Amino acid sequence: MLDFFPKQFFLFDPLSIFFLCVIFVVSFPSAVYSFGYLKGGYSPAKITLAWFLFFIFVLSMAFVVTVSNVLVFLVFWEIMSLVSYFLVVFDTGHEKSIQAGMIYIVMTHIGTAFLIAAFMMMYKFTNSFDFNVIKDACQTMPVQTRNIIFLLLLAGFGTKAGIVPLHIWLPYAHPQAPSHISSIMSGVMIKTAIYGLIRFVIFILGVQSSWWGILLLVLACITCLVGIIYALMVGDIKRLLAYSSVENVGIILLGIGLAMFFQSINMPYLAVFSMIAGLYHLINHAIFKGLLFLCAGSVYKATGTRDIEKLGGLIKKMPQTAVFFLIGAMGISALPPFNGFVSEWLTLQAFFLGALNIMGGARVFLVICAALLALTSGLAAACFVKAFGVTFLALPRSNYAKEAKEAPFSMKAGMLFLSILVILFGLAAVKIIRLLAIVASSATGFDISSMSFSLNNFILSPQAGKNVYLSVPLLAVGLIVLGGACFAVYKLFNKTKVRIYKTWDCGYYKLNSRNEYTATAFSKPFRIAFSFFLLPYRKTQKIRESFYHVKSFVYETHTTPVFKKYIYEPLLASVFKAAKSMRSIQLGSIHLYLSYIFVTLLLLIIFMR
Amino acid sequence: MQGMILFAILASTYLMIIAKRMPALIRSFRYQSFCLFALTLIVALDHRQPDLYVVAGLLFVLKVSLIPYLLYRIIKRTKVNEDLGLFINPQLSLLWALGFTYLSWVFSAHLVISEKTALTSFLAVAFFIVLTGLFLMISRMSALAQIIGLLVMENGLFLLASTVSGGMPFFVEIAIFFDVFVSVLIMGLFVYRINKLFTHIDVNKLSRLKG
Repeated sequence: MLDFFPKQFFLFDPLSIFFLCVIFVVSFPSAVYSFGYLKGGYSPAKITLAWFLFFIFVLSMAFVVTVSNVLVFLVFWEIMSLVSYFLVVFDTGHEKSIQAGMIYIVMTHIGTAFLIAAFMMMYKFTNSFDFNVIKDACQTMPVQTRNIIFLLLLAGFGTKAGIVPLHIWLPYAHPQAPSHISSIMSGVMIKTAIYGLIRFVIFILGVQSSWWGILLLVLACITCLVGIIYALMVGDIKRLLAYSSVENVGIILLGIGLAMFFQSINMPYLAVFSMIAGLYHLINHAIFKGLLFLCAGSVYKATGTRDIEKLGGLIKKMPQTAVFFLIGAMGISALPPFNGFVSEWLTLQAFFLGALNIMGGARVFLVICAALLALTSGLAAACFVKAFGVTFLALPRSNYAKEAKEAPFSMKAGMLFLSILVILFGLAAVKIIRLLAIVASSATGFDISSMSFSLNNFILSPQAGKNVYLSVPLLAVGLIVLGGACFAVYKLFNKTKVRIYKTWDCGYYKLNSRNEYTATAFSKPFRIAFSFFLLPYRKTQKIRESFYHVKSFVYETHTTPVFKKYIYEPLLASVFKAAKSMRSIQLGSIHLYLSYIFVTLLLLIIFMR
Repeated sequence: MQGMILFAILASTYLMIIAKRMPALIRSFRYQSFCLFALTLIVALDHRQPDLYVVAGLLFVLKVSLIPYLLYRIIKRTKVNEDLGLFINPQLSLLWALGFTYLSWVFSAHLVISEKTALTSFLAVAFFIVLTGLFLMISRMSALAQIIGLLVMENGLFLLASTVSGGMPFFVEIAIFFDVFVSVLIMGLFVYRINKLFTHIDVNKLSRLKG
């Protein structure tokens, strides 16, 4: 009885250990960062509270990924959700925090409801809460039950992971939390949902129908594109990062979905390979999204605003933060030799390998998915050009940005650690792929002793196989040499003198930061290109002094929040309508309430004979 | 003998239905509880179980003496109109009660498959008492009627348990007794408070409290 941590409740297989690593890799620098971040911004009591919640949060996530009992899993899952809710509403002064917290807690509980339903169905069939017992019993489960459980799990974990259209809470909740928490929520917490999917769907349930994988792939493609298109549109830097998290979850799920698909058609090598790609992108996203949120946090702390239209020129005020942000942005945009490149390369390879090895419609489908992934990475690069360019380059657009100061040491230390990891995970790709192969094989249950994995599985034709060779360190060296050569050539042969002067403005002489390229302007082409989905509209307002002179002119451009307007608002409206109609039976009379019970009792007696 | 007592219980329940004033209701409740006590005592004598003696004793102490006494005290203390405030007048209530008797008889006849008539009638009376308790709660305005209605329902459940299943486990029985006692105390306190705040204990007038 006193044994609080009985051995049978824990599972330390490679999958769990991998996720533990992910959790601590992001939590540790975030903890260091929070020393500097919390100081000055909050009262001492609140700082203590922040630390307390932080530790419970990290601990609950660690338990979520290591327990081996469904009930215990649910308990820690709920603790994680509740503690993160308290962290979202940590800045209680803001009206927005309360609203964001509300959306978050409602969505997360809807997700948990689905999970509980799925677990109860599993229990009903297997009579056990233990992972291994369920796993064995699930082998004989009828297909119908299996499918329902899968859909319930997908909805439950999908809500936490932010699969479109269940992503609605992410862009509200993640920006409102303190930045070191945002980095953990975005970097790690949504990954626990991926863990849940891998653990329960692939490891325990086992994929037998190929439509599971295809469904997940379709959802993942939609998630990628929707996430990154919205990220391009928003001007709040942390919101941008939150939407980008939606996109990256999509990319991770492309790998996982592909693994499920290959598992169902019994192609072990490709299943393991896709799983490696997914897991690799998972840890990469944890690292660079953690880093980017920390950078955004130090920008927020230095300037007091998250609106990138009010920032600018920060590279001169906060050079180190700018460098860290740039590294993170390059990682997330999948530029070689950083880590994002490796994982997206692997994912693309998995798609092409799959397309080469299977026949029929699935082949076309996989190629389309690969194309969408490529489109997503292109848009991601554009998005982070916008984020970095508008925030850090050009002239400051407001006094907030002019007054910015470089972050203190502890914050920089946290960011530095993650920046190094971004580079390291790019350079040491081969080693990491080998480690991830072990994790992937334990998750999918395939034996990998006869397989070999490297970056060079990309074989378009058998002849080209021996000639294609990719090595990230070599690539890095190449890029450095090339860059150095260009620089040397420029230095040697460029004789022009540099004179720092104002931009040529046709003799207007009044160009200032108001004339700079804004984030809204930058994203305009994308707004037009995706107008079928974004449904942009504009509001203009002229105030005239006379017919000939317009005194002021207001121009606003907005995009229609499609999911909110066409899914959630009708849903909420119908819920409220139902609640209102229920209210007519609630008249406040005790006698009436008692007679409801009485009538029910009488009817039961009459009809149950 | 048991049949006689059962009939007495039925009769006291009908008395409750037609009662117009609080003291009459409490008095009938006392009769009902006393009959229940007598029934338990007879069963205890038959089976020679010490547990049942204790249960019967508690029944006497709590339901026959202490709770009616407390209820009388509430009436005296609150000094309100002694009318129960009827939604449904005694004649109509009596008709309802006849309907309940028929319904519970039919229901228990369906429930008991074997031809044990004694058991069927016990069951029928028990159901009838439960239904009447609920009916009292609904059709009387005074908060006191709600307390008594609950107690009557509890009596019905006691009868059901003791006759059909040969009594609940001893400790469960004891626990229920104390629950009922404490609930009477608490509800009595509430009635005081309601009376103090609104100068009446008419539950019908509390509907303004709804959200």
